[in-house]
Amino acid sequence: MLVALVREHVEKVKPPRALFVPFPYGHTLGKPNDPEYQHSVIASALDLLNRPSGPVLADFQGEAGPKELIQASAVQPSTSTINGTNPADEVTSLRELYERWVTDHDGRTMVGLSGIPQRRFRGTVRFMEEYAQNGGADMKERPEDVSVPQFMRYCVDGIKAFYYEARMSQRSNDTEEEIHSWFWGETAISKLIQDVAKRMNETDDAELKVFANGLAR
Amino acid sequence: MPRLEDLSEVERKTVTFFPCMEFDSTPWVSLSKDLSQSKVALITTAGLHVRGDKPFISDFKGGDPSFRVIPSNTSPADILQSHVSIGFDHTGFYKDMNIAFPIDRLRELVDRGVIGSVSDNYYSFMGAIRDPRRVVDDTGPQVAQLLKDEGVDVAFLVPI
Repeated sequence: MLVALVREHVEKVKPPRALFVPFPYGHTLGKPNDPEYQHSVIASALDLLNRPSGPVLADFQGEAGPKELIQASAVQPSTSTINGTNPADEVTSLRELYERWVTDHDGRTMVGLSGIPQRRFRGTVRFMEEYAQNGGADMKERPEDVSVPQFMRYCVDGIKAFYYEARMSQRSNDTEEEIHSWFWGETAISKLIQDVAKRMNETDDAELKVFANGLAR
Repeated sequence: MPRLEDLSEVERKTVTFFPCMEFDSTPWVSLSKDLSQSKVALITTAGLHVRGDKPFISDFKGGDPSFRVIPSNTSPADILQSHVSIGFDHTGFYKDMNIAFPIDRLRELVDRGVIGSVSDNYYSFMGAIRDPRRVVDDTGPQVAQLLKDEGVDVAFLVPI
């Protein structure tokens, strides 16, 4: 039994029981922090188990609407704010808000992929700065079987989660669009992420360009 | 996803051109007991793993076909996501992992008597796999066997 986000794929794969939901990627059960709404989606999926034969493809009747994910290139950065800010100091300034998020959410956090504790993220910022400058940076925390660009993605993923969770701790009513616009428009770290991506893009290495596209676009 | 006609040009192309296997037939097994007596397992393609376990990798040709075991009694504080794609919005998952990994919701369904129990183990695959053959031939059947070994009645698949 499957909740499905792409109806056209279900039609091709023909799984026994699929519930198509009209929600954007990343929002499979509809609404975060709305347990009863999520239960209504799950109940509709479980209901498919009562069908006598299949394949079954049912449609969940939910309000969705198209929601475009805001990428870096869609945001006009506030250069005066960004250029006057040191990214490592910016990270430190968000620490208290981030730690409040973790406390308020019983320890739930999406920070941690690089294995480097957030209190040492200034070192991660230094790694990113060195990489953006000369492309030759590395970190001793990188596991041997993880490539440098892959490790960079883990690092950037953790830093982004740290920023988003800190921001949501401070401004819990902000929409997702507002948070993306803040991140890509007003933070010094977003400029650094784009500088790292630019460095990766400047090579002839096709694989590295793919990694760049996964950092910012 | 919204219907194709409601998507932007870029998103529509991404969905339309993403490779997808096609099958002619559907395996079918009816539920042999009441749902309230059934054991349910959660399977996600959100690229989740237990903190400290090996993250999924993004540079594997065609996509990382491996899977991770997530014991169902794992504290949500110990669950991490290594599906680092920026092609989907992570904000909802930051706010509430139940949006793609309804670990709390399934517990509530046990408490409410809707389902009998949850399996000891849940499973996560990686998403955005462009070449699913290794999942179909190898890691998928491995997880299916693990589910059978544990006596799971219902597999609930949730992508992100």
